[in-house]
Amino acid sequence: MKLSNKRNFCIIAHIDHGKSTLADRLIEMSGTVAKRDMQAQILDSMELEREKGITIKLAPTRLIYNYKGEEFELNLIDTPGHVDFTYEVSRSLVACEGALLLVDASQGVEAQTLANTFLALDNNLEIVPIINKIDLPSARVSEVKKEIEEVIGLDAEDCPCISAKEGLNIEDVFKAIIEKIPAPTGDENAKLKCLIFDSHYDNFKGAICLIRVFDGKIKKGDRILMMQTKKEFEVTEVGIFVPTTKECEVLKAGEVGYVAGSIKTIADVKVGDTITSASNPISEPLAGYKEVQPVVFCGIFPVDGARYGELKDALDKLKLNDASLQFLPENSSALGYGFRCGFLGLLHLEIITERLEREFNLDIITTAPSVSYNVYKTNGDVLEVSNPSNLPPTVEIAKIEEPMVNVNIFSPPDYVGTIMELCQNKRGVYKNMVYLDKRRVELKYRIPLGEIIYDFFDSLKSRTRGYASFDYEFDGFESAELVRVDILLNGEKCDALSMIVHKEKAYSRGRELAERLKKIIPRQLFEVPIQACIGNKIIARETISAMRKDVLAKCYGGDITRKRKLLEKQKEGKKRMRKIGSVEIPAEAFMSILKLDEDK
Amino acid sequence: MVSVYIHIPFCEKKCNYCAFLSFCPSNAERKRYLSALIDEIERYDGDNVAKTIYFGGGTPSLLTTEELGTIFQKLRQKFEILSGAEITIEVNPNSISEEKVKFYREMGINRVSVGVQSLNNKTLKKIGRLHSKRDVKLALKTLSKYYDNISADLILGLENEKNVCHYAKKLLKWKVKHISAYMLEVHKNTPLFEAVNRGEYRPLSADGVTKSYEKLVKFLKKYHFFQYEVSNFAINGFESKHNLNYWSYGDYVGFGISAHSFLGGVRSANSSNLKGYYGGEKNCEKIDSKMEIEERIMLGLRSQVGVSKLALKKLGYDITLSETYRKLLKEGVIREDGDRFYLNEKFYKFADYHILNLIA
Repeated sequence: MKLSNKRNFCIIAHIDHGKSTLADRLIEMSGTVAKRDMQAQILDSMELEREKGITIKLAPTRLIYNYKGEEFELNLIDTPGHVDFTYEVSRSLVACEGALLLVDASQGVEAQTLANTFLALDNNLEIVPIINKIDLPSARVSEVKKEIEEVIGLDAEDCPCISAKEGLNIEDVFKAIIEKIPAPTGDENAKLKCLIFDSHYDNFKGAICLIRVFDGKIKKGDRILMMQTKKEFEVTEVGIFVPTTKECEVLKAGEVGYVAGSIKTIADVKVGDTITSASNPISEPLAGYKEVQPVVFCGIFPVDGARYGELKDALDKLKLNDASLQFLPENSSALGYGFRCGFLGLLHLEIITERLEREFNLDIITTAPSVSYNVYKTNGDVLEVSNPSNLPPTVEIAKIEEPMVNVNIFSPPDYVGTIMELCQNKRGVYKNMVYLDKRRVELKYRIPLGEIIYDFFDSLKSRTRGYASFDYEFDGFESAELVRVDILLNGEKCDALSMIVHKEKAYSRGRELAERLKKIIPRQLFEVPIQACIGNKIIARETISAMRKDVLAKCYGGDITRKRKLLEKQKEGKKRMRKIGSVEIPAEAFMSILKLDEDK
Repeated sequence: MVSVYIHIPFCEKKCNYCAFLSFCPSNAERKRYLSALIDEIERYDGDNVAKTIYFGGGTPSLLTTEELGTIFQKLRQKFEILSGAEITIEVNPNSISEEKVKFYREMGINRVSVGVQSLNNKTLKKIGRLHSKRDVKLALKTLSKYYDNISADLILGLENEKNVCHYAKKLLKWKVKHISAYMLEVHKNTPLFEAVNRGEYRPLSADGVTKSYEKLVKFLKKYHFFQYEVSNFAINGFESKHNLNYWSYGDYVGFGISAHSFLGGVRSANSSNLKGYYGGEKNCEKIDSKMEIEERIMLGLRSQVGVSKLALKKLGYDITLSETYRKLLKEGVIREDGDRFYLNEKFYKFADYHILNLIA
């Protein structure tokens, strides 16, 4: 097929705006998958994704569509629609010539949509707005069109207005893809130049690179070079997605597909890397490559200490498919042996912990998330500290720097006051506020990331009744007056409950945590003092009074089963308990730092 | 040998705290239930030597002499009732008459358990009981003419009832030889639960219940009532043999709606709704060795039956190797006597806590 009959595109959408449904409809209407094999949201391959209704990443797929008597090959490349994966989004965008901007007809433009749209514009993509869910009674098509024009500056006059769910006006989407998005360019006779925009691991074929070929061709037997990692491999297979993998003879300039090459570890396949010919390489790799760094960290421990080995195997397996996941062994006096893990963000953290529990059947305890601080010691050493208990004593610290982010918040104007209050509570610095139209305001703040990971998202949602959306990007490090607050239970320090907080907030956070722990920790046979302290200085104290009784009155008419079941339930609960000295505390306590909330 | 339980779900009026199945039946319903009960006894083909029989409810004293007679006739047909077998009936103070009591004696019933709960008329009214302190006095007077083995139930934790020792004292004077003192449980879907939620009824706090429990334990001890289980106290020789059988892991068979059985290592429960019961629905569960270990510890430690170390060892659990066990032994929470170990009565108020630690 000639290049002019090919299109490479992606879909940009906010969570719930219908990306997966539209993708399903496109697949169905192009006849790529037989109707009987259709499964709702076919490209959401992970069980977790389908269940949460969010799509982290869709599998790429090739659609063949007949338009005005000609066959077109349309490659849909998906972008993960979440702030945690901004870099991956940017690489997927580079692989395309155009993007469908899918907007919910009742919700309008959201922060995340906007961020990814600007990312697409930066990459010179042709953007085709599409208004979805026009069948809803709350749809306000003309207003949303105006919003797209005013907020993003795109012409939305004749954009397709569809209902992906009902299959309404889907032909308009095909028409727009073919007529508005430019065909790929590239020279199949030039030196090989491919972008790796994604990767996954296959037990039989090794690491698989998802690629966009810009110049040249690639086929089985070729020797290839990864320009960033400088590793060479021999291609064992190339192919396309329909949407399952299908081997083909060659991939040429302008095409999208996959390459396998007996690559043993996914760490050798870096998203954003450039593939070229080992014997006849290009001189410069594609621009924009970045080493992905985790920004959120937490400790993960098996509830049952004996399952440490299983936890390690599970993390190893997850890492096969997820190069951005990092983990190192860690030992906590409270929680025993486990791992300190690094993630791209809170959603990434949540996905990994849920997969550990679901796919690997592990019972785990996670500690509250932390960011990574740059600690400058008085002796000139510089440390990166992502585990609060590793912070050196105050006297040895010259200064601490914390990571900062620029936050964009979209909200109806009614909530501006409460959002500003929230941002100020989170030590945010006001940057700007723009009224986009009557119903939307954009607020910009600079906030320490460490504050964002403490319930910022939940607070924002509850303060704005779910109407606000937000997005952030990194903006370097900045020094701050930070201290570590420790928790003593019955006089013994519980390392897993230590937290790094701003000096001014130390008292209130310490007090809140002590109060919360008092509620979570069950009464023991003896009285248990809970103390929060900075160094040796006690800043808050609560007391859990001793248990008065723990006995159930009666076995009714020989109903032993009821009592045994109750006992078994308690036994399960007990497995989730950890001992600090002689005090038993439930696993949830370790996450309770997160729930500290000015909004309570 | 088995213990036999007969469930009579009839009540004149449901008590406000009761979350169990009982109802005020129409004549037709009453007939239907009793005939299903008789059929169920008829169908039974297991161990037929009865060492104890217990009529529980509900309110078994609502049975007419004729009805009770029919049930006994069937029981005697099916079971060989050991001579000296303990045969108990639960009665409400306001639903007995001298005629009935005489009849109980004739039937061979040799133990009566009276649902006293409290001796404060205001309290009794609030929890929906139909009797008064006077009814209790009269009932016990009548009963004691024919019975030596009389038990009374008390509830701990009722509103304003910080000390129930004076009730116990009265009951002792009225010749009661056994007292069961249960702590009030406020269950969902009961009028009491609603009243508590509305703030109209204030049961004692956990602290308050514990204190009243401790006072009662002390008081009864003074009067030579032996605390042979968490909630049960008796003059030597007047312990409930039927209940002791539950705690010492003996077999039992239950007849009637929602009645439970434990036969040959299988626990079963009849359906707890009438339709299911009439249709013969049952839930069965085979107790494996792991469950049996838990149950033996759970039941044995609640009472002075204790737990046999050998029995546990045969099931694959050598408890003497348990660190928790050795610690509790050292602290005096548990005491050993030959092959058996017991929870020290002093620690009954933490029984569930220690049981959990021993099996977890």
